[in-house]
Amino acid sequence: MEGVPMDGQMIANAFHHAYWGFPLSIYFWLVGGSAGSFVVSTLGWVFGVKKYKSTAFFASNTAIAMLLIVPLILITDLGKPYRFFHLLMLPSFSHFSAPMIWGSLFILTYPIGMLFYSYFVYYKNERMARIFGIAAIVLALCTHWYTGVVMQLNPSRLPNHGSVAPILFLTGAYISGIGLLNILLWIRNRFVDAARQVSDAILGDMARLMLYGIVFDMFLLFNEFLQMTYGIGEEHTILYEVLLGPFRWPYLYIEIIWGLIIPLIILAIPQINRKRYWVLGASFMVTTGVFGMRVWWVMASQYFQGHF
Amino acid sequence: MAGRTYGYNGVPPSKGKKGTKRYAMAVDLRRCTGCNACTAACKTAYDVPLGDWRIWVTEAETGEFPKTKRHVMPRMCNQCDQPTCVRNCPTKATFKHPDGFVLQRYNRCIGCRTCMVACPYNARHLLTDYRRDKRNPRNVADKCDFCIVRVTRGLAPLCVTSCTGGAMIFGDINDPDSEVSRVVSANKTFTLRPEQGNAPQVYYIGLTEPIADPEFAFHHRSEQLHDRYNTFKKNSELGEELAGNIIDTDTGFFGIVGQGVHNMINFFATAPAKFFRGLF
Repeated sequence: MEGVPMDGQMIANAFHHAYWGFPLSIYFWLVGGSAGSFVVSTLGWVFGVKKYKSTAFFASNTAIAMLLIVPLILITDLGKPYRFFHLLMLPSFSHFSAPMIWGSLFILTYPIGMLFYSYFVYYKNERMARIFGIAAIVLALCTHWYTGVVMQLNPSRLPNHGSVAPILFLTGAYISGIGLLNILLWIRNRFVDAARQVSDAILGDMARLMLYGIVFDMFLLFNEFLQMTYGIGEEHTILYEVLLGPFRWPYLYIEIIWGLIIPLIILAIPQINRKRYWVLGASFMVTTGVFGMRVWWVMASQYFQGHF
Repeated sequence: MAGRTYGYNGVPPSKGKKGTKRYAMAVDLRRCTGCNACTAACKTAYDVPLGDWRIWVTEAETGEFPKTKRHVMPRMCNQCDQPTCVRNCPTKATFKHPDGFVLQRYNRCIGCRTCMVACPYNARHLLTDYRRDKRNPRNVADKCDFCIVRVTRGLAPLCVTSCTGGAMIFGDINDPDSEVSRVVSANKTFTLRPEQGNAPQVYYIGLTEPIADPEFAFHHRSEQLHDRYNTFKKNSELGEELAGNIIDTDTGFFGIVGQGVHNMINFFATAPAKFFRGLF
């Protein structure tokens, strides 16, 4: 291009919108929480960790309840809500190169798998619970993996367009699901009799699982950060946005500091990492922190590109 | 990337293939005066809602007074040969025409806005309720279609016919005798964001770096443009479908939470209308 110095200013441009916004962030967060809860639910019945069996039924139902809200948000967010069935008309309307079609199939089948799993857990049918648990856990991971892929396969949206995106989404789902489940189990303890209450020891164990997820999440975020610092100018712009610009609250303060670093410190200190209220506090921070991630992840690239 | 096919009936890119048509546009920025006649003609003819554009003109200034220079660039859909919007559209609502157009089928579109997120050029928009004629499609995606209704009748697109400086040249780039092929082969041409791999088919002559650079467009907004952007977003009543708008005047904790709450209230408040519009 012609050599023109890069000083100067834009004086007229179109004001483009960020087309995916807070409703989609909430959707990502709910799907993530659902997948994370379901992972915990299957620990006892599928993976054979006996101590988590008591949480399985509640966790699975939590996952189902969260996933029931998802289609409502998604369909309401469509410009033409009544046309949502276009996504399910195979193969005449559905376009299989679009990740949204994969997701439609996952979102349709995943709750059915979970319902069967919950049914067999309730009737303590070990074998069938295991079979449906395996099927549903694969679907749970796929459902959340595809949400990452929907963001990933947009080449111009720079922080999203990387192969780490779906894994980041899955890790966020895992920790936010456990965090949310911890809080819900504690609330449930207030309403059920002593025999059915979940002990603090199990909450502590789940927090330990969450700790591993937090460490892995930070590792992935660090990798992504490294890539952005060595990236092209547009990646630097995103870095500016999330560290100093309008998305510094969702990213830097809510996700990194509030959602990862403080819980990591709490859960790493042996004196407090099994105490009930510390664990619950850390769970709350992680869950809300992951919501911050969903917000900046959906909107930061659109905000930046909306100025082009 | 040979062999990749996209969209409806798997139409492959037709550029350079003998016996096929490949409509393309060349924009000679040395001749563009930034008069916005193209924007006005397009907006009027296609009833493009307030706040959306099929074609618009980006303007920038460089240099120090008195040695300043103004850069203008009309922007529209680049009718890419490898369109990400077509690839990502879940319902085949957008597709690649054999003659090179990337087109939209309103009756299939569900308004999920995946195509808009996929487009590196911001060339797509959602048709809102605010249209002059309510019988026109609403709440579905729309874009520049190189005026296919005119081109198939032997007329040039409206922006080309209305261009006062003769800066826009349209035609079949596969035909070596067409004006657009001659202009493109005789001049050094540039496309926007070639690194995105979309193979855009709008060729710019005399494209200058600042105006073609998204980074520049973000960091070097004039104060007036910045204010107008925020004012427009703040007062925009399009919140129902566009709940992601963020303004950077207030981005502290309460600012972000406030904007989120505001956008979600808009989202829920307009939801009933979305479901029951036209039923009662």
